[in-house]
Amino acid sequence: MHCIALAMILLLTFASSLRAQSEDSDSQRPVPIFSAGMGFITPFQGGQANLDPLISPIFLVPIGDRWLIESRDTFESDFSQPPGSNTFHGVIQKEVDYLQLDYIANPYVTVTVGRYLTPFGIFNERLYPIWIRDLQSDPLILPIATGPSNASTGAMFRGGFAISPKVELNYAAYYSTLIAVSPVDSDRSAGGRVGIFLPDQRLEFGGSFQHLLQDERSNSFGFHFAWQPPPVPLDIRGEYARSRRGSGYWIESAYRLSQIAAAQDFLRHVQLVARMQQFFVGALPHEVLPSANTQEFEFGLNYYFQDNLRLVSSYGRQFSSLGNVNVWTVGITYRLVAPIGRAESN
Amino acid sequence: MAKRTLTLCMLAVAIGLALLASAQDRQSEKPAAAVAPATTASANAGRTPVHDDAAERIEGEKRFKANCGRCHLAPEKFPPRMMATILRHMRVRATLTDEDARLILRYMTQ
Repeated sequence: MHCIALAMILLLTFASSLRAQSEDSDSQRPVPIFSAGMGFITPFQGGQANLDPLISPIFLVPIGDRWLIESRDTFESDFSQPPGSNTFHGVIQKEVDYLQLDYIANPYVTVTVGRYLTPFGIFNERLYPIWIRDLQSDPLILPIATGPSNASTGAMFRGGFAISPKVELNYAAYYSTLIAVSPVDSDRSAGGRVGIFLPDQRLEFGGSFQHLLQDERSNSFGFHFAWQPPPVPLDIRGEYARSRRGSGYWIESAYRLSQIAAAQDFLRHVQLVARMQQFFVGALPHEVLPSANTQEFEFGLNYYFQDNLRLVSSYGRQFSSLGNVNVWTVGITYRLVAPIGRAESN
Repeated sequence: MAKRTLTLCMLAVAIGLALLASAQDRQSEKPAAAVAPATTASANAGRTPVHDDAAERIEGEKRFKANCGRCHLAPEKFPPRMMATILRHMRVRATLTDEDARLILRYMTQ
């Protein structure tokens, strides 16, 4: 019954596009793209060094005027040195972050089916890639309401549109089904996110909600904001999330030293980052969330050789009843983009 | 009962979307850019549509800085066909508006 209903919904939604497909000029016809975020990060936590190589290939395959197939996988490892050993050991973990079909139905609605990043807050969807994030560690609250591997499987409606000359609204509403097979596991849940964006002020704020349709059937909610004050190269972002398995917040600022007159050739490549976060344990346990109240400060220094290649480093101090630890990170990140096929028009 | 109601609601939403898209297709002319095939004035409520080339470039740069800078540094420019794909991806990922995606693509391919 549900399969038939879903098929009818998709058919009805997509049918109108079939005759609407039009021919683009060759110069504007989108070409499939292969991209990859990659990095080699070395975190030192509590005096223990790890080696974390990561590669995250992305495929973008546009079809016609309105369709897009996109996927991202992650291959990463966490090599560590067992006590008494001189060598590092670890296993390669594989995850399908998303494998989705997007259909741009109209200016207000894009329909997504498949496995997609859970739209709860802004970090998971927008800031997660290794070449984008300013600090390499995940926020403590990231696992709240994002599901296994931070992804969901099902259908989603999303979009953004202007509601006045100075205000834009964006939204996402989704339903996810239960899949217990790794690496494509997901929770049965429904939820959504709404955001308001003020382009002139470069300020965005909004909220997220999720209702878990399994286990304890609990609700989770959160708020987010992002602000880039137009006169200065400063980013300020933050999120708050609350669920029965825990709650907390993070707030982060990042500043590019491009406006400092002295040593411009060097300083304009430098970015300073600071983040503060707190996590409070909930009534129910969670596999990934910290098992004790935790507070963490982190300071980062990044150097951009180019927009897609940078050195990253950070120092943080984590406080919890399980023990206080220092967290150091050094590494390098890179983003590759290449066409699959002919990118230049005739 | 609740499942049936939910299914009927989703069907109603889908029919509404299909009708909306159908009406949209009849109204819109041939799309100016691959990334934004369904641009209409109604999709940019209250915003003045930008048509002049120079004005489009200025507006495109402004929207590029406002939207792309929310998450990452400004990337280098790629060939137009690659930019069309990237903008379609970003339209979905960052929930860009139809008009923003069109103007940013225009700016990034000039």
